Amino acid sequence: MLTIEEVKNKLSNRFKSAIIHFDHPLRSRLFVDIDKARVREISNEIVRMGGRYLVSIGYDNIARDKTLGLIHTFSLDRDDLFVCLRSAVPAEDPVLDSITPDIPNAGWSEREYMDLLGMKFTGHPKPKRLILSDDWPEGIYPLRKEVPWNLMPPPAENVAYQLDECPEGCTVVPVGPFHPTLHEPAHFAVFVDGETIKGCDYRGFMVHRGIEKLCQTQVTYNEIPFIAERICGICGSVHATSYSQSVELASGLKISRRAEFIRTIMLEIERVHSHLLWLGVAGHLIGFDTVFMQAWRVRESIMWFSEKLTGNRKTYGMIVVGGVRRDITPELKDELAGVLKTIEKELMTIKNAIIGDTAIHRRTKGVGCITNEEARLWSLVGPVARARGIDIDVRRDHPYAAYDEVQFDVPVLDSCDVWATVVVRILETFESIKIIRQALDKMPDGPIMTEFAEDIQPLRHAISAVEAPRGEVVHYLITGEENRPERWRVRAPTYPNLQGVPLMLLNDQFADLPIIIGSIDPCFSCTDRVVKVDVGSGKAIRLTGRELEQISRAKLNAGR
Amino acid sequence: MWLTSKIKQVLLVLKPGVVTLKYPFEPHPVPKNFRGQPVWDHHKCIGCGGCAAHCPARTILVRDLCQDLRVMMYDGSRCTYCGRCADVCPESAITMSEQYELATNDKNDITLSMELFMLTCQRCGRCYNREKTNMIDKMGLKGFRYDNLELRAVIQKATEHFDEKMLEESDRHQRPRKIGE
Ligand code: SF4
Ligand code: SF4
Repeated sequence: MLTIEEVKNKLSNRFKSAIIHFDHPLRSRLFVDIDKARVREISNEIVRMGGRYLVSIGYDNIARDKTLGLIHTFSLDRDDLFVCLRSAVPAEDPVLDSITPDIPNAGWSEREYMDLLGMKFTGHPKPKRLILSDDWPEGIYPLRKEVPWNLMPPPAENVAYQLDECPEGCTVVPVGPFHPTLHEPAHFAVFVDGETIKGCDYRGFMVHRGIEKLCQTQVTYNEIPFIAERICGICGSVHATSYSQSVELASGLKISRRAEFIRTIMLEIERVHSHLLWLGVAGHLIGFDTVFMQAWRVRESIMWFSEKLTGNRKTYGMIVVGGVRRDITPELKDELAGVLKTIEKELMTIKNAIIGDTAIHRRTKGVGCITNEEARLWSLVGPVARARGIDIDVRRDHPYAAYDEVQFDVPVLDSCDVWATVVVRILETFESIKIIRQALDKMPDGPIMTEFAEDIQPLRHAISAVEAPRGEVVHYLITGEENRPERWRVRAPTYPNLQGVPLMLLNDQFADLPIIIGSIDPCFSCTDRVVKVDVGSGKAIRLTGRELEQISRAKLNAGR
Repeated sequence: MWLTSKIKQVLLVLKPGVVTLKYPFEPHPVPKNFRGQPVWDHHKCIGCGGCAAHCPARTILVRDLCQDLRVMMYDGSRCTYCGRCADVCPESAITMSEQYELATNDKNDITLSMELFMLTCQRCGRCYNREKTNMIDKMGLKGFRYDNLELRAVIQKATEHFDEKMLEESDRHQRPRKIGE
């Protein structure tokens, strides 16, 4: 166990003047201002102390001191501590050492700020475009404050993403952007030698709509939970909770205990239905539609309960800054207990029916293997990590909401393949049911909303993590003026996990690609941080079904 | 093992039987407290603009045509049915209805607008409870507002006194253009 003081001492003894300032508003959050020249060394030191890389946050500070800021965040899971290394680079010459050679998972974060802020990272192994579309003009960095939120550069012709070099003797098989097994747009160029996958390049972020920029410029603190919730169609409450917690942490607001319990229940309800959904999808991906149909049938009962509780099957709109919007009444409580009972029983039946099915074993055992060390190196999260023997779970390691009062096990397996992720998710569903039961029992009476007594001070930093069904979600917030964030950074669990996929695919059969990609329960749009904003080009042209069909047919005929 | 699990699977499928609902051939009732399309009661609405200021989708527009006439427009095409508007309305003029079959070819089917006659307050021009100090109340756009109803665009500006020039400016409002156009 390391305490915050020990971490501070270790850092200042070793790096002396490179450490400019410590700030720890809470005993579980440490913000360190560091000299930009030693970013790489200090990051490595944190990793040596047991730190797990989370995400980097870049932000524009030009108006204040002509710098661009970059924050690397780490989680010390055994010590319930988040360490955030803040560095700043002058805006005219925004060059920083890349930490990607040592911490490969930082690759995307750094590429993101090359695109969005115009930063440069020396030693980055793959400094390619990541987020912006291929025809976005050079030299316009949309996350800088000077760029308006609704800027629309003209589209350009004849630009295309340069895929990685195909290894010799291999053939490229494009999967996506639209593909029956992907559900959301993403493009994988898979390099195959016969049936064996020898590598792959990923081009995603096709639905990036700049939700962070939008929320930093257009709406206010209280509306963002509803937008955050729409980052993901399945685990919406997770984002709303994580965002709300970060605002509450930044402003020092303590919400009522009852609200915390209701949040816990909402998060676990989401986990139950998300895992059931995944089980169905996974069955479908390997051609086992019985599992698909039955898992989704069982799932329906909890969806209907959610509709009664929150007013909708999904996008619950339950969580707001300061608490929750609707209370769980005694009748609903009884009903939920009943629903849990049916789900538990039915899921057990499904489990017993499939656990011995050799067809599933053949399709999942030994597929998508990566070792524990590789998974650790790539900072994988959630069930994907827990299936590789990495014992992490934010609910237990950094308790939030009411998780400190409930008992549950964190299932960890070490067979390192897709099968393990199936088992981990099924076991977790049972744990979730256990958690909801305890929370319903222990929930105290009280108000569900807490009002702010005063304004939120600008330029406070806060980081909040929540365990989503797919792994941990991290939200980093810098409070701003005008009642809205100065910077809000969202990291969905698919963001780190997707970076590990090329490794999982390596040397596997091409036919297993859908289930391997499916095994991380990918949520491309969350990763891209989508929100639909109607900034239409002035006139909206609506096509009738027939017109659309005619156009499609014309295109088809022209292509023949 | 393979055979027993197959038998179990057959039972698993047979027991629940057919569960698919007959919808849309039979109506599917929604539960109490469902968040469907919001509907406005123009008798109750005092035109405070609170719903417009708190709508996350910015889909409620407010346009003051003159000192005494305020038009409020709800454009359902972008509504997320979050129910925030109904929550913040001080007069409970908004109800989240049970209506959810809203797919349409014509935006106007799901657009609702109200013309409200407004009294002039001698003190502030528009009547609001200005004493409230909590965060939610403070963040609204107060005073006269000039959204462009035709383009359905929110103009993020408000003035304390009615300003004809702003109204004209709003008429000339344009969607962002592509650079170089
Ligand atoms: S339901 Fe939500 S999105 Fe729709 S009008 Fe009301 S506040 Fe706006
Ligand atoms: S918040 Fe209520 S009273 Fe105020 S404008 Fe909206 S509907 Fe009318």
